[in-house]
Amino acid sequence: MGDTFVTTGLLGPGPSASLLGPSPTRDGLSSEFVSNGLLGGLGTVPALGEPEERALALQEVKGVDEQSEPKQAEQKNSFQPNGLLGSQDAGESALAGMAPMGSLNSGLLAGTDIFASSGMLYESQDDYFLPISDILGLNPQGPRNSATSSSRLFISTHMRTSLRATTYDGKVIQIKRKQRAGTARKISSAPTQLSNLLDVPVHRLKDELSAATISKMSLSKTATTVSQADKPSNLAPEDTLWVDRYRPRKFTELLGNERVARETMAWLKQWDWCVFGKKKSKKRLREDDENYNPDDEYHRPREKLLLISGPPGLGKTTLAHVVAKQAGYEVMEINASDARSAQVIDERIRPALESGSAVGSIKPMLLIIDEIDGATGGSDNSSGFVNKLVSLTFDKPKNKRKFFTGHWKKSDQNDKRPLLRPIICICNDQNANALAKLRPHARQIRYTRLADGHIVKRLREICELEGLQADTRALSTLVGVAKGDLRGCLNTLQFIKSRSDEVTEPLIRRATVGMKEGDTTISSVTNQIFAPLSRRRVKELGIGEEEEARYVNRLSHSIEGLNNPASIANSCFAHYINCHRHDANLNHYEKAGDWLTTFDTFSSVMYTDGDFALHKYLSYFLVPFHPLFRERGGKRVERDSTDWENLQLTRANEEIYKSLSNGIRSAGRTAGASRHLITGQVLQLEFVPYINRIISPPLRPVNSQVIKAQEKSLLMRLVEIMVSFELRFVQEKAEDGQLVYRLDPPIDVFITYDGKRAADIAVSRYAVRHLVATEIDAALIAKHADAVEKGKEDARANFFKTSRKSDTENADESHEPTEITEVNEGLRRLDKSSEPGPQNKRARTSEKVDIADKPPVDFFGRPITVKNDLRRSSTSKKAVADFHVAYKYLEGNSAAVRRSVKVSSFL
Amino acid sequence: MSLWVDRFRPKTLDDLHYHQGLSIRLKSLAASADFPHMLFYGPSGAGKKTRISCTLRELFGSGVEKLKIDQRVFISPSKRKLEINIVQSNFHIEITPSEAGNYDRVVIQDLLKEIAQTQQVDLNAKHRFKVVVINEADSLSRDAQAALRRTMEKYTSNMRIILCANSTSRLIAPIKSRCLLMRVAAPNLEEMQIVLEHVAKKLKFDLPEEASQQIAEDSGGNMRKALLVFETLKMQSPDLSGPLTIAKPDWEMYCHKVADLIVQEQSPARVMEVRAKFYELISHCIPATIILKTVAERVVERVDEALKADVMHWATIYEGRMRLGSKKIFHLEAWTVKVMSLYKNFMYNFDMADFE
Repeated sequence: MGDTFVTTGLLGPGPSASLLGPSPTRDGLSSEFVSNGLLGGLGTVPALGEPEERALALQEVKGVDEQSEPKQAEQKNSFQPNGLLGSQDAGESALAGMAPMGSLNSGLLAGTDIFASSGMLYESQDDYFLPISDILGLNPQGPRNSATSSSRLFISTHMRTSLRATTYDGKVIQIKRKQRAGTARKISSAPTQLSNLLDVPVHRLKDELSAATISKMSLSKTATTVSQADKPSNLAPEDTLWVDRYRPRKFTELLGNERVARETMAWLKQWDWCVFGKKKSKKRLREDDENYNPDDEYHRPREKLLLISGPPGLGKTTLAHVVAKQAGYEVMEINASDARSAQVIDERIRPALESGSAVGSIKPMLLIIDEIDGATGGSDNSSGFVNKLVSLTFDKPKNKRKFFTGHWKKSDQNDKRPLLRPIICICNDQNANALAKLRPHARQIRYTRLADGHIVKRLREICELEGLQADTRALSTLVGVAKGDLRGCLNTLQFIKSRSDEVTEPLIRRATVGMKEGDTTISSVTNQIFAPLSRRRVKELGIGEEEEARYVNRLSHSIEGLNNPASIANSCFAHYINCHRHDANLNHYEKAGDWLTTFDTFSSVMYTDGDFALHKYLSYFLVPFHPLFRERGGKRVERDSTDWENLQLTRANEEIYKSLSNGIRSAGRTAGASRHLITGQVLQLEFVPYINRIISPPLRPVNSQVIKAQEKSLLMRLVEIMVSFELRFVQEKAEDGQLVYRLDPPIDVFITYDGKRAADIAVSRYAVRHLVATEIDAALIAKHADAVEKGKEDARANFFKTSRKSDTENADESHEPTEITEVNEGLRRLDKSSEPGPQNKRARTSEKVDIADKPPVDFFGRPITVKNDLRRSSTSKKAVADFHVAYKYLEGNSAAVRRSVKVSSFL
Repeated sequence: MSLWVDRFRPKTLDDLHYHQGLSIRLKSLAASADFPHMLFYGPSGAGKKTRISCTLRELFGSGVEKLKIDQRVFISPSKRKLEINIVQSNFHIEITPSEAGNYDRVVIQDLLKEIAQTQQVDLNAKHRFKVVVINEADSLSRDAQAALRRTMEKYTSNMRIILCANSTSRLIAPIKSRCLLMRVAAPNLEEMQIVLEHVAKKLKFDLPEEASQQIAEDSGGNMRKALLVFETLKMQSPDLSGPLTIAKPDWEMYCHKVADLIVQEQSPARVMEVRAKFYELISHCIPATIILKTVAERVVERVDEALKADVMHWATIYEGRMRLGSKKIFHLEAWTVKVMSLYKNFMYNFDMADFE
């Protein structure tokens, strides 16, 4: 190459050749062209301008894929040390530039070198500036190195005045040399000034050049480092996460879990009739579709919410989006980054759902609520997000309106419209408290971990696409460590990719150091405590024997990771006693008990004092269960709910105590007289056991009329006590359809241990309870009537003293109530007749008792005395008045009364 | 009508059957113009509350018997609502702050300040102050007691406090020193029998001597319990003749069963059984400390002399921890295992740990 060049070399053909240059020389043999570039200026200056500009243009075009051609980069490397530099330095003078040319002829070593380099120079026009800048800037040592060569070059410089060159066509051209030093520099630094190249003094050119160089250098340096770092493949910068790049976009691209995807799709399709107005095909109808709700006028599925749950990174959100898109919906997503309070439902979700489609879109809307387990207020408060959401699904239009497919008529603002768009909720923990209200109303789909094989396969595909060499072993390790989290795997791979081209097991280990602790359920953590690491997991984590034996950190980490040490303690407590250690004197259990009690006291003190900084130590109290009870191949720890059930039972019983104590509080001669029975532990420890015995005397089930005197008094006493403590027998139907009397409040649970009633208490039979219950009812009526009667007593004392029975001791006699009501009847009749005029008007509107207490007054509030006296005498004569009173109510709710009045009453 | 416990509860200091000396002292205190803060203490069922209400009646007349009960809602610092039942008359107010659990301080502060800041409006009242009766004062938290101590001094013009407690040991010294201590001891057998006979006479039936003695012995100085038992017996067998079988409270029987289980066998399986029984007891709202105490007492009865001290020692230790902690079942079981282990070691008479 050098040789060919030499001959053609100084080829003035310059401009013309240079035009041809780019295409033929692409292959690298175009040394001639290079020289043209450099030397072209020598020939005809104006002509030179053109190729230069071309070159520049080329450079711009090529700049984009600047780093794409490795060959060039190599040449560049070789370029730096070689000749040109030497010539440049030496060439303080004009000679420098020409030195190469001269040397060509003489066939000097240096000459060939230069040509190689210069050829390169041209060829990679895009790099045009680069080499030169390198030459100038990077090689301060250059001068010394090339000092010898430059001196050698000098020899031939005298030839420069006329140069002979041969063009491609074989023409020989003579070029007159007028060239000055710095041409090359000029060209590089200021191509635009080429025309008046010589007008600028050399020192200024040099200054300009150095300034330009510096600015270029900063650019080129980064470019070179980058290009050197990833010289091989595609050099475009990574601008997307792999997770996004390889996110499935079509239903068919969804990975694994086909059942889940299909189920989701099937559910969504059930909305079609409602949303798109398509009727179900006959085939679908015949299929027994358990979620199909024939009663729904909008043909919505029975469960209007879909709840997808599963561990992170498996693609739940992606699934929802893809399925929604596939089914032709526009997705509206609400996730943890949005405010999620009850107002949001009213302000955003409801309008969005009601309008049916997003603004500017013809597709119907589908709402995806991501990470719903983090939403507020599901568990208790009624205004929480989840509650509101559930109630949203129940909204019905107040007045039915014709529903048009996809649209419906605007109705008045306050009218709540029914939910007509599907909602998909996504969560990690299906059993989160927040979702308790949601679960019964939602179709639940559980997303489980894919088979490792699927994931590994997909990962390998991705690795191939990304040019990452990965062996199956490494990938399956990765999947194992990540526990099937596809997103985590991809992120890890991308991370590895940024450093090397190969995925190896150690690399994966290093990259996934933080992923080790990912256990999130109580039972898995408990299992970790009670069983040594499984061989498989040891392998997955790639830890040695020694590390395996070190458990304290590992366990405390995973306990802490769960952030709920109390429930771990509970499940440890539930389980440890089942571990069969050969432990003759219960030593291990004793220690375990000590650890548990210490844990409990520690945590309670922490909570009461609010010293939450201590929380991190809590996990260490549970770690000792590992050395104490660890056992390979032991029973898997299942979640134990005994403690929870017990707690629930305790709560229920506390409620019973509460209602009992309410009864007691109001019992006694005067209110609050028995209150001493409920302070402290008296209620549980003394009162309840004995009251249960007191209220179950040995009674025979006989009619209360034929009962013996002694038994009768017993019964009366019993009724008395039960009434005063507000204890009742309530009739209920048992599960087998039999009628039973249940004690209410059911305080008999407190004498029932292990499902057995106390042996010394006679089981009261149905008949006895029935007897008691009727007596209690009678007593209650009597008591009630008593209260009414007492109110009247004062006002009527002088009237009916004789006819009234004193209501003290025997108020609970069963025949009494009827008597009292009889008396009441009589009074009422008298009321009507005895009080004339306007009072009666009032008497109809307000309560009788109240009116009865008031002294009679006329319309103006004056007490009626004379007439009263008259009437009293008359009533004493006969009970019923002698004139007839007719009432006639007018329509409407006015209290106006028309009454016929005899003239005599005005006289 | 109500139970005999209420029906025959003495209303005035003169009606009281025992501790005459105490009654006389209270009477003279009530007669004087001033009245100190008081702390009534003594075992359950000895008659503390009866004495307090008698004293109040002595102080203010029968007006204190006109009670009204209402529920007050207090807001805890953490904005939780606490519902407290308050029994009050025109002259006094009765609270059980332990209903508020950990927030009793709030109740004490709010309520006492409110009372202290209002003057007696009834001009006919015998005394210018109102009385605040605090039940279960020994379960007051430390904070609440601290809140009480300054209030007791500051508002003496408007308010007197009567505390009622089972023991003074859990009251802080400053409170004790501000009160006049009144110890109401449990009645002895004769005194209880007198009361029982009095009740029988009032009800016009005959109580056999042996029966009253048996009841009195069984109830162990707890007058309330004795009367409840008495009434139970009367209901069960109206004539009260023949040998009486006095039923023990069910929870107590059950605790004894637990103790027997512990003594019979010592193995993890048995621990599991005992745990189920403890759960049953706890779910019946029997306080865990009472469970531990009852079971421990029963175990002590059944084991060898040499072990008794140890069993009780550990029972106290675990009860102490239990009071600090919140998961009662942990402590109960830890104690069970401890006792089992002690028992086993003792039975085999050598340390099995060597064979581990």
